[in-house]
Amino acid sequence: MPLDIDPSILGREFDRAEHEPVTAEALISFALALGETHPCYIQAGPELVAHPTYCVRFKGNKFFPDTLPETLRFRMSFDAGKDIALGTPIRPGDVITIVSTLHEVYEKTGRTGSMIFVVVRFTMTNQRRENVAVVDNRFMYKGLAE
Amino acid sequence: MTSRRFDDVFEGDEIETDAFEHSKDRVRAYAKASDIFFPRFTDDEGARREGLPGMITPGNMSMGLIATFLERWAGPSSVRRLGTTFRGLLLPDRTIRICGVVTQRDDATRSVEVDVWIENDDGERSVIGTATVALS
Repeated sequence: MPLDIDPSILGREFDRAEHEPVTAEALISFALALGETHPCYIQAGPELVAHPTYCVRFKGNKFFPDTLPETLRFRMSFDAGKDIALGTPIRPGDVITIVSTLHEVYEKTGRTGSMIFVVVRFTMTNQRRENVAVVDNRFMYKGLAE
Repeated sequence: MTSRRFDDVFEGDEIETDAFEHSKDRVRAYAKASDIFFPRFTDDEGARREGLPGMITPGNMSMGLIATFLERWAGPSSVRRLGTTFRGLLLPDRTIRICGVVTQRDDATRSVEVDVWIENDDGERSVIGTATVALS
């Protein structure tokens, strides 16, 4: 593992955030901005559910655990991508809780040199403790591992 | 809620490309709806101050556009998993194309794996990804 990271910090909860109840207006404006036309995403009523990527709107209170080395924590990173695994659809009135864990840290060598990737996992549940989504946020750091 | 039939989809099938003018207004609407207020997502001057060539599209919005593209093909609530890599800047006020091809079928779950990407007029792929899509 690069940067001498203590493996015990992986998978450990470092943040928990509970959000305000989801509103129908927020769901609809989000879906419309993406050009959605299906009624289940843009019409208020009992059938309304969140667009599948609505979950990426939610954030924790902090991006990284305090245990992450300062060389990473205080350095600018790039949003390299995301992976979303979807569960129960989000509906108006849902209260979403996000538990953040440091999921993975790995090194990769590309055309421009060595890069380090830090993956922060958001596990999202609703007020019934149903799994709503698991979102892996992949951050990339350049020029650290050389 | 899905509508496309699993039995009608095969490996190698190309999803009809969605080509459209990706406007700055749409990006601003997305930024507002997502409560993200970085200047790089709302105005050219703010973006240039951050060293960018102009306003850019949030990576999360690219994901959203891909999900919308997939669900227009397969039906609402059909996307089960979506993974994306942000490879470059997606600049608005240009024509973009969202493309996809079926790479694998899973009889047990009646779902398919799809390679997806967003490309610009020059054919550059700024976002690439894979998705699992459930069919009926």
